[in-house]
Amino acid sequence: MLLSRVAESLYWINRYLERAENISRFVEVSEAMSLDCPPGSAEPWLPLIDASSDRETFDSRFPEKKQDDVINFLIRDRINPNSIISCIQLARENARQIRDVMTSEMWEQINILFWNLQEGESIWDLPRQEQLSEIRRGCQLFYGITDATLSKDLACQFSILGRLIERADKTSRILDVKYYLLLPSLDELGGVLDELQWIALLRSAGAYQMFRKAEQNSIQPNSVARFLLLDNNFPRSVRYCLDGISNTLKMINTFPSSDNPSKLECMRGLLKAKWSYIRIEDIINDGLHEAIDSLQIDLNKLHNLIEDKYFINKEFD
Amino acid sequence: MKRYMFSNYRPKNNYDEYFKDNLNSAREILTPLLSSLDNMGLEELNRNHSAAKKLLLRHGATFRLNDTGVKGTERILPFDPLPRIISKHDWITLEEGLKQRLEAIDLFLDDIYNSQNIINDGIIPRELIESSDGWRPQMLGFKPPLNKWCQISGLDLIRDGQGTWHVLEDNLRCPSGVAYFLENRLVMKNIFPNLFSGRIVKPIDEYPSFLLKTLQELAIWTDTPKIVLLTPGIFNSAYFEHSYLAQEMGIQLVQGHDLICNDEYVYLKTTSGLKRVDVIYRRIDDDFLDPINFRKDSYLGVSGLLDVMKAGHVAVANVPGTGIADDKMIYSFVPKMIKYFLDEEPIIKNVETYICYYEKDREYVLKNLPKLVVKSVSEAGGYGMLIGPQSTTTEINEFSDKIKNNPRNFIAQPTLELSTVPSLCNGELYPCHVDLRPYILRGKDSWVSPGGLTRVALKKGSLVVNSSQGGGCKDTWVVGN
Repeated sequence: MLLSRVAESLYWINRYLERAENISRFVEVSEAMSLDCPPGSAEPWLPLIDASSDRETFDSRFPEKKQDDVINFLIRDRINPNSIISCIQLARENARQIRDVMTSEMWEQINILFWNLQEGESIWDLPRQEQLSEIRRGCQLFYGITDATLSKDLACQFSILGRLIERADKTSRILDVKYYLLLPSLDELGGVLDELQWIALLRSAGAYQMFRKAEQNSIQPNSVARFLLLDNNFPRSVRYCLDGISNTLKMINTFPSSDNPSKLECMRGLLKAKWSYIRIEDIINDGLHEAIDSLQIDLNKLHNLIEDKYFINKEFD
Repeated sequence: MKRYMFSNYRPKNNYDEYFKDNLNSAREILTPLLSSLDNMGLEELNRNHSAAKKLLLRHGATFRLNDTGVKGTERILPFDPLPRIISKHDWITLEEGLKQRLEAIDLFLDDIYNSQNIINDGIIPRELIESSDGWRPQMLGFKPPLNKWCQISGLDLIRDGQGTWHVLEDNLRCPSGVAYFLENRLVMKNIFPNLFSGRIVKPIDEYPSFLLKTLQELAIWTDTPKIVLLTPGIFNSAYFEHSYLAQEMGIQLVQGHDLICNDEYVYLKTTSGLKRVDVIYRRIDDDFLDPINFRKDSYLGVSGLLDVMKAGHVAVANVPGTGIADDKMIYSFVPKMIKYFLDEEPIIKNVETYICYYEKDREYVLKNLPKLVVKSVSEAGGYGMLIGPQSTTTEINEFSDKIKNNPRNFIAQPTLELSTVPSLCNGELYPCHVDLRPYILRGKDSWVSPGGLTRVALKKGSLVVNSSQGGGCKDTWVVGN
């Protein structure tokens, strides 16, 4: 038995931390990559803002669009609700509300991560790459502690649910923005730089090494897209995440009505079937961007249905 | 013996709990601790003090000040590393005294909300009861489970210039601080394990177990009660404690909107529907507990909760209405209650108190303001008080008018030289004033926490120990001689 409010907090703590982790990964990779680019050639930065759909806010606040503006906006900007620091603050604020449900080790990890990112803390004296990997590891440590200390009950399932939905969302977004940026240049040039760009994309999704293990051939746009969307074994691929989401929802809903499934049940099943039985060639032919777009819409619908059923308690209010 | 750590320490002229009158006359019970401290030295003490602060921050032992309102202003309660020591001999008497006092107070509450014999027999004037901020006429005729009203209380004790213990205040509504009491010991064990050498300090870890047992016993209708802790939420200054206790007991931490009253029962809203609740440990004031029966504008409480209580389908601890007994004026009647209900003499004395409501007392108070402490009976947290010896003539005159305008609202007490314990202020040791808040649990049995939360006035020379006024805390050790 889990309070609706607590379920919602657990779900969001994990979404926020997963978001923070992904952003730190994006920036880490982009910054390293920008060093390999001839000055002014590739613009690795703005797509990062596109990936979190914050382009409008960013453009209005930073019309000059300088590299430092982007990095600051993504990492330390307290006004941007999707910056790393805001995500971690929100995660911690949610964690404070449900401290009785988390183990104290989980709480301490999220709490110390929060305090370490305050202005004046020593982390900001480190080189940026170190800052980002510290943050990334801070989030990962939280997942590890959750896995190792929290009982595998409803609290755990809502945590996983939040994490996987955010992860599917972020992996697909980074593919979406980078794929279109890279594709034309590949047709025209196909040089070393493009190979580097594809590697960078894989790295942004934390997928480079596992991709290499899975695909021994040279890096092709289709194989990258296949890996990030449809790989059965890679834990950050969209298919893998949707599989996990489906299983978790089934565990949460112990008594599904089979003859008249709820809207949430329908969405769960359809989404899982859609991404289990599709080939990368068909996705590319019908348009990768369209496929990812419809995935985003479906994930939002799924979120709303979860919210209605488990977080809001509509019938009591 | 040379006292390396204390070479610059000068006890004041009051009762110092470490030294009798100079550094060569350490109290006998302190011997093992002083020798560990001298081995450590001031530098290491300061270093470990910073480590202790970090540990408290990591644990999230923070509070938000009520009066700032700035979102995110969180701080730890300042922690002082030098423990305060109480002898087992003293403690046994205090424990008896606290149990006696609470027994009388519970009988008083039962009486005042039911047959009112203490009024009818002329011990306490009706007007003083009914004019109190803590009086809840909604509770008239109410009989709580086990006939206990104060399941959880925290009394403030002080030692005067002779080292004699007194009760300064009774906190019978939602006394806070117990999480710091437990957390301080944890920090001491983690950071200063060497100081424990050579003696057994009475353990305190069983507090959450006793609290849980106390709460379970209230559900006289079931053996498997569902217990929750009701908090106003994360913006409450004691939120850390609420989450801490819920976690330690393994019960759910809930907010008002997680609960709903329906058909004479109270339920939790969960991901699998409504679940019945049997016991609520509430950390919300009476006023905000139930907008139907108490304050209408409360968003924190649960509508209809009092009706479920009256139907006997939920137990709420503490019972609403206990505030009448911790009114600072009613406090002065507790020795009479002990005599009236138990026919005993109080084991722990009150501080001498002048009731401005009575003309004779009022005249004395108005004449002697510069040497008295005057308190507003309806305010807590060290607010609304006048400390005569530390006040200007203007402040005294202002207060004098306040008293004349609303005498029922004020009491006065002689300025007590509270006992002192050496404490770190800016890296050096100074004698700082302390009080003690032991916690008393009352279900089928009574249990008193060994020691309690020692609050310390860390501003040099200050007498106010409240956390909202720059006070800190210390670990408190009950040890055998």
